[in-house]
Amino acid sequence: MKQSTTWVGKEVVRRDALEKARGLTKYASDMFLDNMLWVAACRSKYPHAVIKRIDVSRALKSPGVVAVFTHRDVPNNRYGVFVKDRPVLCDDRVRYIGDIVAIVAAESKEEAEQAVEEIVVEYEPLPVVSDPLEAMKPDAFPIHEGGNISRSTRITFGNVEEGFKASKAVVENEYRTAPQIHMFLETEAGFSYIDEKGVITVVAGGQSPYRDHHEIVSTLQLPPEKVRVVIPHVGGAFGGKDDVSVQIYLALVTWKTGRPARFVWDRDESTIAGTKRHASIVRMKTGASADGKLLANDVEIIYDTGAYTALGHAVLDVAIENCNGPYKIPNIDIKAWLVYTNNMVASAFRGFGAPQVMFAMEQQVDQLAYELGMDPIEFRLRNALKRGDVMVFGNKLETSVGISQCLEAAQNHPLWRQKETLKSEKSLPWIRRGVGVAAAIKGFTLGALPDRGSVAVELRRDGGLTVKGSFTEIGQGVVQAVAQLAADLFKIDIEKVEVVFADTGKTPDTSVTSASRQLFLAGNALKKAAENLLNLIREVLTTRYGQKVIEARFENGYVVGPGFSHSFEEVAQMLEEHGLSREVVGVYDVPRVEPIPGSLEIPHLFYMFGATLALVEVNILTGTVTVPKLVSIADVGKVVNPQTLTGQLEGAAAQGLGFALLEEPIIDKGILKTTNLSTYLIPSIKDVNEIEVIPVESFEDEGPFGAKGIGEIGIISVAPAIANAIYHAVRVRPKSAPMTPEKIYWLVKQAGLTVK
Amino acid sequence: MKSLSYIDVFTPRSLEEALELLDKHRGELAVLAGGTDLIIQLRKAQQKAPNLLNIYMLDELRYIKHDNEIIKIGALTDFATITESPIIQRHAPVLAEAAATIGSVQILNKASIGGNIVNASPAADSLPALYVLNATLTLRSKTGTRKVAIEQFYKGYKKLDLQSGELLTEVSFPAMKQNQIGMFFKHGLRQGDAISVVNGAILLEVLNGYVKDARIALGAVAPTVVRATESEKTLIGQRLSEDVILKAAQACLTSISPIDDVRGSAAYRKEMCVNYLYMTLWQMMRMVNL
Amino acid sequence: MQYSRVEKEFFFRLNGEEVRVRAPPGYTLLEVLRHILHLTGTKDGCSSGDCGACTVLLDGRAVHSCLTLISQVEGREVTTVEAVDEKVADAYARHGAVQCGYCTPGFVVATAYLLSKMHNPSDAEIREWLRGNLCRCTGYVKILKAVESLAGDDG
Repeated sequence: MKQSTTWVGKEVVRRDALEKARGLTKYASDMFLDNMLWVAACRSKYPHAVIKRIDVSRALKSPGVVAVFTHRDVPNNRYGVFVKDRPVLCDDRVRYIGDIVAIVAAESKEEAEQAVEEIVVEYEPLPVVSDPLEAMKPDAFPIHEGGNISRSTRITFGNVEEGFKASKAVVENEYRTAPQIHMFLETEAGFSYIDEKGVITVVAGGQSPYRDHHEIVSTLQLPPEKVRVVIPHVGGAFGGKDDVSVQIYLALVTWKTGRPARFVWDRDESTIAGTKRHASIVRMKTGASADGKLLANDVEIIYDTGAYTALGHAVLDVAIENCNGPYKIPNIDIKAWLVYTNNMVASAFRGFGAPQVMFAMEQQVDQLAYELGMDPIEFRLRNALKRGDVMVFGNKLETSVGISQCLEAAQNHPLWRQKETLKSEKSLPWIRRGVGVAAAIKGFTLGALPDRGSVAVELRRDGGLTVKGSFTEIGQGVVQAVAQLAADLFKIDIEKVEVVFADTGKTPDTSVTSASRQLFLAGNALKKAAENLLNLIREVLTTRYGQKVIEARFENGYVVGPGFSHSFEEVAQMLEEHGLSREVVGVYDVPRVEPIPGSLEIPHLFYMFGATLALVEVNILTGTVTVPKLVSIADVGKVVNPQTLTGQLEGAAAQGLGFALLEEPIIDKGILKTTNLSTYLIPSIKDVNEIEVIPVESFEDEGPFGAKGIGEIGIISVAPAIANAIYHAVRVRPKSAPMTPEKIYWLVKQAGLTVK
Repeated sequence: MKSLSYIDVFTPRSLEEALELLDKHRGELAVLAGGTDLIIQLRKAQQKAPNLLNIYMLDELRYIKHDNEIIKIGALTDFATITESPIIQRHAPVLAEAAATIGSVQILNKASIGGNIVNASPAADSLPALYVLNATLTLRSKTGTRKVAIEQFYKGYKKLDLQSGELLTEVSFPAMKQNQIGMFFKHGLRQGDAISVVNGAILLEVLNGYVKDARIALGAVAPTVVRATESEKTLIGQRLSEDVILKAAQACLTSISPIDDVRGSAAYRKEMCVNYLYMTLWQMMRMVNL
Repeated sequence: MQYSRVEKEFFFRLNGEEVRVRAPPGYTLLEVLRHILHLTGTKDGCSSGDCGACTVLLDGRAVHSCLTLISQVEGREVTTVEAVDEKVADAYARHGAVQCGYCTPGFVVATAYLLSKMHNPSDAEIREWLRGNLCRCTGYVKILKAVESLAGDDG
């Protein structure tokens, strides 16, 4: 049901924007407390080694040092969301160069840094396993007990061999993608202190305060009520702060010393020890009939999780779920492995496993269209999922499916209609132009996993509302979106809505801010809260009037019904007079189905869809690819705030462009060589040209006002669209991302292209 | 990143005082000019950082003069000033072009030409331009002044003909003549700032449609910047044509010895040298033949 | 190896006020601003001059405070985001050019510098002048719009 709205759909300037732009917002890295200790880490010198001995005695005597901690100080030294395979402080072994062996707490930054140099760690180097294909071999040196396969699974529906037999065209390729680094501008950072109630309070950049809280209390074995986690405004996350980073160490230092502490990673530490997007190897054999129907997809997915599993098990599921694209395919066979290596740890990154498989699938589809002599968009439309379809995993799609609308928007776009003209336009003799398209799908919410979120709404004495939730403001604008949703749900002026976020001491558990789920979760929980508040008010009014009040609704800052109208201020007072709390809680359980065998969370009930068009220029003498224009089309359900929506999609497009063309970590036997922003290049303002955003509103019935998640969809189809545009321009298929100048140069040279 | 809380910094008020201090603390002080490279190097180094001689305050080393067909640039002159200077734009446009690509606006405002020269990165963007301009460096010490041609200044990877106690104070070169054209090129891995995979400068003197003199310098393809002498020879005495510029571009391979690093393989660097020379000469050919 | 701390006193003008601060002469201006003066509008994104988040004006010119030692600031004038004309920050906010916001102060200072040099920059000029400021959230589209909205503004 579509509802009329005042604030939802309106372009409202974000409430946090001006303070941030003036430099007044305090991020975790901006806080300096009195009597504060500086924390520095002693990290592994080897990608893989046995620890023979740790001697901290000299470090302890170093000037200004207050404490040095090792694994002996951590009561339960293993953590991890899916597998507890990661030590807080390494004890038996180090498994990658970001591993921390000891931490120092000192009076000053320099004293902490100098004391780290005084820690003696004796290592016995072990073989370094840096290639996931090597790591998978039975005789590979095991990085963990139980070998190097963190998870493997196989999921089949139908019979792919029969599908290939019936196919007119079959294409088979291997694709690779590099481990993209988040490169948020604020590195992992936090501080800690003991508050007036004796609670160890950790304030740090993160995405999930309750999960961070859980990791702290479970590793340090502290009573849950003795720890509080606060996540202030975060200087970027993109999934890279979904796992804990500084939190446990800060809690440890403050717990043991009783003093405030600060732990901020420098850029090199962040690139080495922060998580990454999984490097991938994806092999695909895909078949289609003469009339352009996809018939079979045989897929092998190998994701390099690095030294630890982190969120890898779920990432692998997302890869599996999305590797067939937004298409109906009757026969699939997917084998997937999550593999340990001594490389950097991989975990969540916007898209969560989908961009890698879509880089493969959307090139497969493109190639099939060319082989069958069909227009690439027409081919995609023929196979596009529709509401009511049975998806590849046997699940029926009963929620909104906007992929056809997205593809039609692409088909009608001038960039697509004029692609041959653009291709033949004259320019320098070594420049070639091309236009490419790619589609995207990704489930949002946690799929078949339990997924619940709560928000609290306090009706303030001044008649305003305070919304409290543990969603985190990582830049995406959730605070603004929640305020707009609340203003419409409670029919109140947005200026009267305050939002308190991400504090385990003050806000209920809205669960993790990831999987593009927070707007959907918080919005639906708010809906429940609005119903609960109305119920409460009806009860109060029933008591007050001595007769049953059945009808009551919010209107213009008032609660109105037949014969009454009370301002929010009056209602707040009434609740108090009746000895009732002015705060209600809304709890939302995401509808879900049972996971299919072999999976953790497949299928989702809710999916986002999208498509990207890319215009590229390829310099055949250098291999440099530039992108004069990107068109990002996304099925967003319903636009909540056009400004934040386009901002999310533009940002995702730019990150996708980086993933596609620029961002290449160089890892040499487990050692990362590109540890800063001059060697690991992210897009600058000169690399990102025109980006046009086209939102498609498919209206999701279950979503708040019809809205879906939007955080991730915009990144997924960028790299394959650019790859397909490169093909259109120079007729080579780049199967390895990033498609750096050197890689493209050799491909083009091999293809024998010459200057006209 | 480590803090340099333990070093001392000496800040002289005049060049004389700077040379005095440099003499007194021979070999113990590193010279801090703009600092845009030095500060990172010192903060990332494993070993203890040396004390610094901060010459950043010496405004007497900030100037651009056109003096008797010689252009003189004070060593502390920053790249923003160089790239915006009417003197440089008119008399050494190839340097103005190179200077603009050294880094971001923030870097251009601070990094000095002297610092870029002494820092001696083989990929430094100002160096190929200074090579083709036949720049001369003025080195001063407490006891005297010495001039050295830029090509003689580099003895190997980061090895300089610079004695302890000596300070680079000036860069000078002949103003470009009416019949000279120069172009700079740079291959970076993104459109925004990036360290050069290869860079280079070409300076041609053209008389009646024929190349009278050619100077080509290439960076990031050897331990020091190198002159592409075979390419130069291929051009001299010729009219620019597709055939000639292609041959000249390919001839650079005898002058370079690139290595593999995070920015590219040696093989790719070789190809880029050839292709950038080709693309740049192609554009110069159009300018000449117009 | 233990190195003992060296400290000296420095005078400079910061946002129009005379400042006297004791600091190690090898400290960067960024360290002095954030760690000693706790003036945290200037952000530390890389400490290597690659991201532009720490941009300040030194005698009116945009520089990286992470690549400027406090010793180089003696007697000079430093302007940080806190003292930049608010209309620049306001344009960023109104045009949705702020997401996580950590890069924004650096952009605001760099933009103020651009506008001090050029009243009416073109799209290409804006890109040239802001190429040293990295943003990971916005894709730069709205940043460009924000700066364009300020162009030609003489106020």
